[in-house]
Amino acid sequence: MDYYLQQLVIGLSLGMVYALVAIGFTLIFGVLNVVNFAHGEIYTIGAFAGLLLFTSFAPPLAAVILIVLAVGALAGVGLERLAFRPFRRFTDEASLKSRAMREATLMSSLALSIVAREAIELIFGSQFQAVPFKLLLNNPIKLGPVTIVDGDLVILGTSALMLFALQYVLKHTRVGLSIRAVSNNALGARYVGIDTNRTIAWTFAVGSAMGAVAGILVGLYYGAIFPAMGFSPGIKAFVAMVMGGLSSIPGAVVCAMIIGVSEALSTIFVASVWQDLVAYAFLIVTLIFFPRGIFGGVRERV
Amino acid sequence: MSTPVLDIENLEVSMGVQRILRGVSLSVGQGEIVAVVGANGVGKTSLMRALSGVYPVQGGRIRFLGEDITNMPSHRIVDRGLLQAPEGRQIFSSMTVRENLVLGGGPLGLSELDRLLPLFPILSERMQQSAGSLSGGEQQMLCVARALMRRPKLLLLDEPSLGLAPKMIRTIFSLVREIRETGVSILIVEQNARAALNLADRAAVMEGGRIVLAGPARELLVDPRVAETYLGGHVDTH
Repeated sequence: MDYYLQQLVIGLSLGMVYALVAIGFTLIFGVLNVVNFAHGEIYTIGAFAGLLLFTSFAPPLAAVILIVLAVGALAGVGLERLAFRPFRRFTDEASLKSRAMREATLMSSLALSIVAREAIELIFGSQFQAVPFKLLLNNPIKLGPVTIVDGDLVILGTSALMLFALQYVLKHTRVGLSIRAVSNNALGARYVGIDTNRTIAWTFAVGSAMGAVAGILVGLYYGAIFPAMGFSPGIKAFVAMVMGGLSSIPGAVVCAMIIGVSEALSTIFVASVWQDLVAYAFLIVTLIFFPRGIFGGVRERV
Repeated sequence: MSTPVLDIENLEVSMGVQRILRGVSLSVGQGEIVAVVGANGVGKTSLMRALSGVYPVQGGRIRFLGEDITNMPSHRIVDRGLLQAPEGRQIFSSMTVRENLVLGGGPLGLSELDRLLPLFPILSERMQQSAGSLSGGEQQMLCVARALMRRPKLLLLDEPSLGLAPKMIRTIFSLVREIRETGVSILIVEQNARAALNLADRAAVMEGGRIVLAGPARELLVDPRVAETYLGGHVDTH
């Protein structure tokens, strides 16, 4: 029983990380109808940026998270400039979400993700980075019969805080309302004077900031920071987005939690090397039985 | 006469090889209501989209309060006080009425709300409801209110009566008169020629991307050419 509880906690923090990454996918899909293939690299950049900060200045964890947020936002804006904006000649809804745009930016974001990954590898090497032991978030904490590590709490707490902050931004700030407006009706957004290009850049900033923080949190949790680390959570988050109905943030968060918990609990039945298959199984089931996401045809965007 | 609020000179708009507007000239004076009437597909909505910077302009010039705004990005046109309640309303259907109005206000936020709500009593009861759940007439109200939240100097109305019940059409048109009373100049595009001509000070008739007839609305209302084509018995033109 204790083992189950312990795995549940691990699953929840895992799910939270997937949720942070999935939100970036979802926000960007909402405004552009495109999957940003470079999102996994943003996660990697977040982890490397955090590690660099730690090893060169040794600031407190909270400060690192804040700086990584900013680094992620900048990386997102840069990504949008390089891989998305050059293809955008018109900003009406039909052109923004056109098939030509989708295919072009799919390739350009994929290309940029390869460039970014190779660049990181060139600078740091492809092996695991040495994460100083004292930085690792794996100090055991006994909660009654259950033993978890402080990393679980840090991840759960930080992620929950960021999810609430995101809700606040989307509901109560001009930037957030503009993101939702462009996502809901891009043409209508022009009639109320929203600068579409700037709003899209903001969307990348917000989504990438969250992805980057997920990267450093996981890096410190597992002590595994390496150039290709963004791939696996990227896939899981992508599955969560698809399961959640592509452009629904609550849907993506709930599905990310489902995937995280299922993965953690799956180790009860199978060896943990099979863990990654759980997400793929969910993806296949979703695509076959719930092509519009497991919450049905409800298309509440962003 | 002082400079007109809106001055359109020889406007040309094309979509691919198709010429949609072929040299349209029109002006709207301070405090005026100007109507553009015409059948479906003569370029009325294209004219409106070009004015808001949504369609690119190939020739001619648009001046707003003396400034050249031809091909300016739409958000900068809005910043200058030229707002539109577009065809199809284009409200944010998955967001609440209140959020729609906040977005309409832009940097002004909800500062105009108290002044506007008496004009739109229906909306004040529906602030927390999602805009998509409103009836067609209510959505049109929201669309107009959203534009007014930005304190426009010129309001463009594209087919505000489209798809609405006669009673709602009367409400909308009397609302337009009240809006003018607050000092906003108005350019309205309508298929419902009789209602538009009754409302407007001046009017123009469009055919095939051109203005074929223009003058005081009162005169057009009794002009035999207009009566025959656009007022012939019914209000609708098709």
